[in-house]
This record gives sequence, C-alpha cells and structure tokens, in this order.
Amino acid sequence: MRTTSPVIVRIVLYAFLISATILMSFPLFWMISSSLKTLEEANSPGIVWVPEHPTSAAYTDILQNSNFLRTYFNTVFYVVLALAGTLLSVAAVAYAFSRVEWPGRNLVFFLMLSTMLIPAQALIVPQYIFFHKLGWIGTFNPIIIPGYFAGGAAMVFLLRQAMAQIPKELDESAFMDGANHIQIWWNIILPLCKAPLATVATFLFVATWNNLLGPIIYLQTVDLYTLPVFVANLYNINSAVQPWPTIMTAAVLTTVPLMVVFFFAQRFILESVVVSGLKG
Amino acid sequence: MIRNPYINVTLVAGATVVFIILVSFALAALSRFIAKLMGATRTKQANTFAGYLFAAPWIVGFLIFVVVPMAFSLYWSFTDYRVTANAAPNVIGFDNYTRLLFNDSGFRASIVNTLFLTVVGLPVQIAVALFLAVLLNQKTRGERIFRMAFYLPVILGFNTAVLLCWRLMLNTGTGIINQLIRALSAAFPPFGYLNRAVIFVVEIVNAFFLGISNGKFSLLIKVWEAGFPAANRVPLWVQSPLWSKMSVVFLMAWGCGAMMLIFLAGLNNIPKELHEAAEVDGANGWKRFWMVSFPLLTPYIFYNLVIGLINSLQIFEPIYVLYRDNQPLVSSTISMVYYLWQASFSHFEIGYGSAISWLIFVMILLVTAIQFKMQDRWVTYDLY
Repeated sequence: MRTTSPVIVRIVLYAFLISATILMSFPLFWMISSSLKTLEEANSPGIVWVPEHPTSAAYTDILQNSNFLRTYFNTVFYVVLALAGTLLSVAAVAYAFSRVEWPGRNLVFFLMLSTMLIPAQALIVPQYIFFHKLGWIGTFNPIIIPGYFAGGAAMVFLLRQAMAQIPKELDESAFMDGANHIQIWWNIILPLCKAPLATVATFLFVATWNNLLGPIIYLQTVDLYTLPVFVANLYNINSAVQPWPTIMTAAVLTTVPLMVVFFFAQRFILESVVVSGLKG
Repeated sequence: MIRNPYINVTLVAGATVVFIILVSFALAALSRFIAKLMGATRTKQANTFAGYLFAAPWIVGFLIFVVVPMAFSLYWSFTDYRVTANAAPNVIGFDNYTRLLFNDSGFRASIVNTLFLTVVGLPVQIAVALFLAVLLNQKTRGERIFRMAFYLPVILGFNTAVLLCWRLMLNTGTGIINQLIRALSAAFPPFGYLNRAVIFVVEIVNAFFLGISNGKFSLLIKVWEAGFPAANRVPLWVQSPLWSKMSVVFLMAWGCGAMMLIFLAGLNNIPKELHEAAEVDGANGWKRFWMVSFPLLTPYIFYNLVIGLINSLQIFEPIYVLYRDNQPLVSSTISMVYYLWQASFSHFEIGYGSAISWLIFVMILLVTAIQFKMQDRWVTYDLY
C-alpha cells in the first residue's frame, strides 16, 4: 500500500520529515553560527542568522587559552582510560552471560538487570565516603575505576544479546581443537562482535565525555577539570554581557568529537539498538 | 603517593586490572571447588570455572560499588553522620526520614517536579518520539539521514556545551526562539493567538503544580485573574518559575531519539498481513494506525514509560546548566537527583543524603511495581 500513496501525501510526509530535521539540528547550527559572531552580534536584539562578518577571533583566543587546552587533554585522557577498561570488562561479562552455562547464571543475570532500576547517582553519597576513605577525592580515580568492573548493566545486556546470536557450533569446534574459553572469547567471539562492540564503545564514549556530576563531585581542582565542568563555568551570571562567542566556540570544540564518533558509528548504533530494543 | 595526577591514575588503573584478574581467578577456582564437592561432571566443573571467571568483574564490582554502599547508606540514613565532623555517627532513628517527608520543602518540590515531568513531560516526549517513528517508518528516500538527525540530540543531549547553546536560544529577550515567536506572531495573527493560548495553559498548569509544591495557590489565582495574555507576551523560558520546567520538557522532547528507535523497532515487528487485512476491510491510514499499530505498540510505550520515569528522576545536567545560579528558579525545577546532590554536598550531611537515596530507591521500586501491575489494563502482549 505504501507505493500507491498519492503524491500529495508524499509531499506532506517529506515536508514533515525535513522540518523535523531542521528543528532537531537547529541548536547545532546556532552553536556554530554564534561562535563566529562578534560579541555585539551575539547579544543583539534582532535575528542574526549568519554573522555578517564571520570572525574566528574566539577560536584563536580559546586555542591559546592554556586552561582550555589542559581541560581538553584531561577529558581525552579520562575518556580513553575509562573506555579501555570498561569496554574490556563489559565484553568479558557479556561472554559469561551468553556463551557459558554455569550454575547461578540466571540469578546473577537477573541481579544485573535489576540494577538498571537503580539510578547510579543515588549511590553517590556512600561511594563518595568510600573514595574519601581511599584518599581518591581530587584525583581521576573515582570517575574511571568503577567502570573497570563492567560498569553499565545496559551495555552488558546489549553485548550479550549480540553474542547470544553467534552459532554455538563455532565454539564447539574450537574446543575440539583444544582452545580454552579465553582464547575463544578473544580470537573468535570478539572479532565477530565488532559492530555491537562499536555501539557499546560509542555509548560509553558519549556517557563519559558528557559526564558532569562525577567530575563536579570528585575532581575538585581546576587543574583536573573536564570539558563539561569547564564549559559550564564559562557562563557567569554576574557579568552583564555573556561572552557568547567564546562560550559557543568552546561548545563547538566540545561537541566535535561527539559528532565525529557518531558519524562513524551511527550505522552500528541505529541497527543494533533496533535489534536489541534497548537504549544506552 | 605520586604527585602527577595522570601517572597516578594510570598506575591505579593498572593495579585495578591486576586486582580484577586475580580476584576473578580466585572466584572461579572457588566456584569450581564447590562444584567438585557437589559432584559435578568434569565439563560442568570447567564451565563453572569459565562462567565465574568471566562474570567476576561484574560480581566483584556489584559487591564493592552497589551492595556495600547500599548497606552502609541504609545504616547512615538512621544516623546524623556528617563527613566534615570527626565524631562517630549517632543513631537517631527515623528522624532523617520524618524530616524529609514532613519538613523539607526542597524534597517536596523535587517530588512535585518529577510528577510534573511524568504527567506532562513524558507524554509529550513519547508523543513526539512516536510521531517521528511513524514518519520514519514510511520508507522514504534519505531515511538514514533523517534517522541520524533525529537521533543526534541523544548523543549531544545533556552535554553542558549543548545545554549552554539552549540557554542562549531560550533567552527571554534576545533568544532566537522568542525572536521567532515574536516575528511569526506579528506576521501571522492566528499564530499569535495560538501562542498566547499556549502561554495561558502552560502558566495555569505550572502555577497549579507550584501550588502543590508549596501549599499556596495564590500564584494560580493571580495567573487566572490576569486573564488571557497580552499580545506582546512571549514564553519566559529560563526566567520564571512558571516556565522553568517547560524548558526541561522542551529538552526532553528534543532528545526523544532513543525512544523513537524503540518505537521504530516496534513498528518493524508488526506483521504486514495485519495492515493488509485492515486495508481490505476498508480502514484508512489513520484508522489503521489507531486500531492496528497502536495496540501492538503498547509494550514499547510501556518500556519507554518505565525507563523515562527513571530518567526523569535523574535529570541533573539541564538544571545545573540552566538554573544553578538562579536560586529562586532551582526549587521550581529541581529533580530528585539534583536535590540529593545539593543536600549531600553543600553541607556534607551524609546521614540525611543517605535517607534521600533510600527514599528515591523505594519510590522507583514502588512506581515501577505499580506500572507493572497496571500494565495488564492497557498493554497488549498477545499478537495473534
């Protein structure tokens, strides 16, 4: 029936789709446009769609700001270190829940799924005390190390669903050849799960890159700040005129990695999320 | 201790990996030993070893970062523990809980705000997500690009950088959104009336919710008496307590891409034959959607409701970025997790913060249980 729909319906459909696309991506356009404006244009009472005299002054300024550069390095450093450990441990746990039959598996799996109902933030108070006792306040440890213990039940679940679809015969024949579980996991299962691994890596990347609450609570010193904290502090309610071009320049530079990663990973995400029916 | 923070954390991370590997092998060996004692076959012993070996990182992390903290916080919630005071915690019974439930206007405000987001925000978000999913499901050209554009806000979503851009756009005087509303109202009078009607409804609803949260309905009466908004009125997005929650709803609707993907999966799972049969019976597109697709989508709506509710309790970044420096607005928009952060980390009252955490747990469990109980009434699971 879809092919027989009249032309007018198709036109209305495309009109809706295109206007929704424009609305959804408008903040991005506005961010870039504002970052190229002068201070006067950004705070002007009229609509300035595109700056009349685009200026990259804000970019040269911020790229010479050593605080911003250090913050950027901190963020990349923290995200890479957190991602490596989290991804590896999530992949290991997903293997246990999908490719091995062991007593207690269903119970542990049920426990893991039920932790999805606990908002992680509700644990921050006792966790803060724990990290305080360890002397970890004011270091990167509290925002990196917990992930090493397969942080994120949703990620384990997503990967488990993908691993469970791989035919069992593969491991069986590998067992015949004398391989052990670790070899099968690393040499057979993980290479077959590149797409779901990319999806999980993207979700983890986005979550750590955007993380605000953890850094505010634990980092505490300006030297260790990550981008979300730094950018949020650029807006200062006490100043009469907000330096919008500077803020939006920092915003553009903060979102570029997200967009690059999403651009390369979108086909994995959009497919595997639809398959497992789960969001990140 | 090494002073360089980067080397320090790298060493700790390496030590953690070694720790996890050692503990995993220990746990696996222990479980194999128990399996052996219980007389399992050799294969079963090997599988037990492998299963616990691979699952150990999660099991250990669950104990360290979830079970133990929860146990401690349950204990602390009955004490007056503060992290700054060096005194040992004193047990004070249910004082924290009674103070929270009966004497804490901030906590009550956070409950009412969550209620608002559930009653007003979630339906809007789900409706937008469903609408976009139905549009995408029409198999158009460039579907991939549309899908990407609709999903992009989920990725950018709650990054403070993007939220600050929203703050710029939502500015009452010079923000682009209000500028557009002004321009459209001037150029096209019916739009102006629509805008004023929407403003009126929004302010009445918000005044009502503010009334619930502070027990005084004077604001509601004031809004009602002010009558239909004047012609030059625009929404006061990040300026007025009557609008602060609407900005969050706006952001929720913008970031509905994750829900949209769930609905898209649901629409894909609907057998084509059902639609064809309905078409033969003479149902038009509109009717087919409501009579065929919608009932079959109810499990997906249910899933989105459960997840969306838990997410709305946790909204933190938008409030931090949009309102943190505007104290009068904070109480009109604060979420439970934001309140938890504020209460625990401004005075470091650990006992009190623990009580808040536990109330949040109990509430999520209750609401989720209620949702699961109610689902029989409206969720259709049997397909054929």
